[in-house]
Amino acid sequence: MRTRNADKELLVKQKAIEMLVRDGFEGFSMNKLAKACGISVATLYIYYKDKDDLIVEIALEEAKHMSTAILKNFDPEAPFEEGLRQQWKNRSKYMLDNPTNSLLFEQLRSSSYHDRVFKTLTDEFKDTMGRFMKNAIDRGEIETLPIEAYWSVAFAPLYSLIRFHSEGRSIGGKPFTLSNKILWQTFDLVVKGLKK
Amino acid sequence: MSTETNHILIFRTNILTPADKLAVQHALDGHPQIEKWTVDLDDIDRVLRIVSRTLCCEEIVRLVSGHGYQCTELE
Repeated sequence: MRTRNADKELLVKQKAIEMLVRDGFEGFSMNKLAKACGISVATLYIYYKDKDDLIVEIALEEAKHMSTAILKNFDPEAPFEEGLRQQWKNRSKYMLDNPTNSLLFEQLRSSSYHDRVFKTLTDEFKDTMGRFMKNAIDRGEIETLPIEAYWSVAFAPLYSLIRFHSEGRSIGGKPFTLSNKILWQTFDLVVKGLKK
Repeated sequence: MSTETNHILIFRTNILTPADKLAVQHALDGHPQIEKWTVDLDDIDRVLRIVSRTLCCEEIVRLVSGHGYQCTELE
């Protein structure tokens, strides 16, 4: 009888994410993954029914993991600056601790898996983020603005800094490492831009 | 993902196209002891995955072979 083995499952997930990021969705195959993990193809099919199932299952699990990490110690009722600061802490920590997973999400965003993965991002996550923005508007801390504009100002600068850091270079190929000083300097500008 | 792993049987087949799949579909869908089945047409081994609490590999091999397709257990 075949049994599930937690270590093996973890290895499969890690290798799958690595291979998906390296080879893309088209270049990825169940055979290659089984080989990379040193397990039989049959074992892989015990866990997942096909390549699509594997990609979606792994991505969903990772999306849940990410939303938990981003919501950690975050209170949507907190004053705007304090709440956003916690968001920056959580998001930068998640992305710096899990660089490969962040790349996978980038790939998923522009793929046919998009709806299946991101529609199911937990309701708690969406509600909490939405409530935080609404609170800040209701309290008169920030201007009323569409969520897309809010997000672009509140988080896109952070993602841009993390991208420079992950790639090890910034504009024109200049070497770059993200320091706390630069991170929080940028944060202060974001807060200044959003606050009334 | 909640299915007991020892109720899953895995085979290499030559079910290559959707038409081939259709040819075995009737037999597999209608089988009272098969709970679920899928074929991965994207995979080089065209892996057939069967969920059944009662059937053994030989019975599946006979069933699929009976429809003119190769089917061998993947170890």
